[in-house]
Amino acid sequence: MSDTPETKRQEAAAAPEAGPGMSQGHVLDLKLPIGWLLSAYGVLLAVYGLLTKKEMYEISLGINLNLIWGVLMLVLGGAFLLAAFVKKDRKKRA
Amino acid sequence: MNPIITLNAVDYVIIAAYILVMVLVGYSLKKYMKTGEDFFLSGRSLPGWITSLAFLSANLGALEVIGMVANSAKYGISTVHFYWIGAIPAMVFLGLFMMPFYYGSRVRTVPEYLKLRYNEATRGLNAVSFAIMTVLMSGISLYAMALLFKIMLGWSLTTSILFAAVVVLLYVFWGGLSSSIYNEVIQFFLIWLGLLPVVLLGLKQVGGFAGLAARLQEPLLHSIKFLGTSNNPLGVDWFGVVMGLGFVLSFGYWTTDFLVVQRALASRSLNAARLTPIVAAFPKMLVPIIVVIPGLVALLVLPEIGQAAAGTADYNSALILLMKHYLPNGVLGLAITALLASFMSGMAGNVTAFNTIWTYDIYGSYIRKGQSDAHYLRMGRYATVFGIAVSVGTAYIVQSFPNLMDYMQLIFSFFNAPLFATFLLGMFWKGATGWGGFWGLLVGILTAAGHYILYKAGVLSYHSDMAANFYQAWWAWLADFIVTIVVSLFTVKRDPKELAGLVFGLTPKPKTEARWYARPAVWGALAIAAALALNILFW
Repeated sequence: MSDTPETKRQEAAAAPEAGPGMSQGHVLDLKLPIGWLLSAYGVLLAVYGLLTKKEMYEISLGINLNLIWGVLMLVLGGAFLLAAFVKKDRKKRA
Repeated sequence: MNPIITLNAVDYVIIAAYILVMVLVGYSLKKYMKTGEDFFLSGRSLPGWITSLAFLSANLGALEVIGMVANSAKYGISTVHFYWIGAIPAMVFLGLFMMPFYYGSRVRTVPEYLKLRYNEATRGLNAVSFAIMTVLMSGISLYAMALLFKIMLGWSLTTSILFAAVVVLLYVFWGGLSSSIYNEVIQFFLIWLGLLPVVLLGLKQVGGFAGLAARLQEPLLHSIKFLGTSNNPLGVDWFGVVMGLGFVLSFGYWTTDFLVVQRALASRSLNAARLTPIVAAFPKMLVPIIVVIPGLVALLVLPEIGQAAAGTADYNSALILLMKHYLPNGVLGLAITALLASFMSGMAGNVTAFNTIWTYDIYGSYIRKGQSDAHYLRMGRYATVFGIAVSVGTAYIVQSFPNLMDYMQLIFSFFNAPLFATFLLGMFWKGATGWGGFWGLLVGILTAAGHYILYKAGVLSYHSDMAANFYQAWWAWLADFIVTIVVSLFTVKRDPKELAGLVFGLTPKPKTEARWYARPAVWGALAIAAALALNILFW
């Protein structure tokens, strides 16, 4: 291999906390896809919960699971999106 | 045969949305994959929370979840040993003591470490066996997935196999390790969100923990109390659990399996790499909530599990039956998506580990040395296609010969058991020599195989198959440990200068300029304390 592990080890010894490729970084913020996916699921489940009849929820002990779980996922997804936007905003200002 | 579960349009929309997001994430990562290190190690640039969750999820596959629910229905609370004794100590050890050598030496793979520390032969033995194992395992889990979806939903085997293979191929081909890791993180959230409703409704119906405690037999409710002899639901005594599972199997898996170690190597700094397994230990401690509780609930609410005649209960179907029992369409689709996600991420994890080992340790070391980085990046992409094709082939072969699956898993266990001895001596004893490492590893593998043959022939007998498995791991480890030391004493020592950065005592201690709340040692101590407290609580 052109860059042998041995030479890399020497580089690494010089600067143990900075590796090659670090500058590139991965710019894609994973909080965004997670946030969008969970929020979309949340909306879908909550709306479905509102539209469906009580009888469907006999198996879930009479609890409208779709509505409750949908709202919860929307909150969680929203939290991820908020965190991602706050971070973006901070980066812009800096 | 009618499928167990019927999905409706909303469920299918949920499944489709997940697939769409995964493929889009993979595609958007494509433009960042410029070098081999980007593709194989995510450019060593990922934030800590992502590598930690991926580290955990790489092991939270659907088979693991379904199997652990089955174990809980069978063995009760003892199943927590697979987490609190069988994972936490090893994860903390990896972060505190081993990661400085893995990450600090800048090796790209686990076999590469073996080459630098021992010799070419040791690396070859490990690289070739690991590459074959991962790609076959990926095929096995592909088949298991297809079978589950056929029984559960009535999908045809070919549809499931080809569909999952194409989706995984797309996103790994574009985004490499990053795609695989991102999928694992999304899967982490999906599996909790998909399974928690089952846990909560189950607890509500049986009357909470008090209800469980009142209605289950005592041995099912204690993790440690009955371990004095092998007269407990597991059929294993404390020595087997602590040394076989807690020490050899767990340390062997968590500290030397490239599939999990690769996630930590993708971290952006040594400190983050050391924190990866340690931070992952905290959610790992909580996984019993989503596997043990459903197993116990299944005993009480599902007549086909709890009231089946001895030896006839199909524990593996416990989780699926509970999902059918409690979840209405909608949330049901979410739970199915979680299972699908964890199958696919399991496959993607195997495929990314395979393409890295193949490209760096086999192709780049024995077939075409010294090519350009772009050449190896291209090879990594070909290896992805090849690995998935072999997985699909394996899935079809296993379909015609289901017994093969058990044999393959058996043979793999021979290779895994002794490996931790080789690493322990390599990292902490500078006297271990190249050939000492090689012969120790080989004898360890043969010991595991020999032990198995003696057990099957009836020469050795144990209370349960699980006990045999734990003790087999222990003897294989001991054989590797002793042979490595003995051979090392009679072979030529390595020059200590060559071992700098690879062995304890010849490596400068990692600088801890991190603040106290970001120090691996602080979090490691907390994780051990928490695991200890949990063990006492569920004594």
